[in-house]
Amino acid sequence: MNIDTLIIAVAGLFAVASSVGVLLTKDNFYAALYMSVTMLFVAAIYAAFNIQPVVVIIALIFVGAVGIVTVAIAATYRARVSRKVNIFWVVPVIVVFAILALAYTSLAVESIEVVNPEVFAAVATDYFFVIAFLFALVVLMMLSAIKLARRVDL
Amino acid sequence: MIGPDVSNLAVILITSGAILLVAYLTAISAKDVIRLLISLELMFAAVFLAIIPLFSINPPMAYAVAIITAFTSSTELLVLVTAIILLDRRKKGIGVDKVAVGGDSL
Repeated sequence: MNIDTLIIAVAGLFAVASSVGVLLTKDNFYAALYMSVTMLFVAAIYAAFNIQPVVVIIALIFVGAVGIVTVAIAATYRARVSRKVNIFWVVPVIVVFAILALAYTSLAVESIEVVNPEVFAAVATDYFFVIAFLFALVVLMMLSAIKLARRVDL
Repeated sequence: MIGPDVSNLAVILITSGAILLVAYLTAISAKDVIRLLISLELMFAAVFLAIIPLFSINPPMAYAVAIITAFTSSTELLVLVTAIILLDRRKKGIGVDKVAVGGDSL
């Protein structure tokens, strides 16, 4: 394991620890904060590969927009205990993780080398219609959500 | 060399799998829809990690998949926030036990 892989492993370890914090905390507010921290460590892994556009996407959209909205909603509904971990589900999860880890360490032996990280500018032209359709989808969903929210009686 | 001989691909995939499994565990142990929303966001974080290997094969497609994932996550947040508001208005609460069945009522 070289120093780059070690940095990625440490960031991944902190990301998994933050996600376990989401599972274990009883308060929705802290769960949302742990979720945002997990996103930041995922962005750190992207930064370790020098994929800066995705770091910006994660920081702005996932942490800045989605994360903050989730934190705000979670802060509104934080009164009750909102999770109950069933111990019988923990065992199969650990078994599945052990199988995954064994398979990945034995089969995924080649390291990733990110090529041409500067091609982000070409995405807007190569995938123009995909991005245009996605914008249309978000606007349509937003209008539908507003219509649904206004139609339901108080 | 530091520690065991593990590739960065294996580290990323193991991390992604671990976050995904924790997110599943959070989803099935959630007692309200806020925690369900948070677990879905964690699943998207795992997806974001899983597409890193694609950057070594086809970077433009990897960027496109990342953008699609971001849009999908934002739309999912929009739909779930609306669902939370509607559930709170109709059922006077956000617990998952208030939703007995899915779909329209007969």
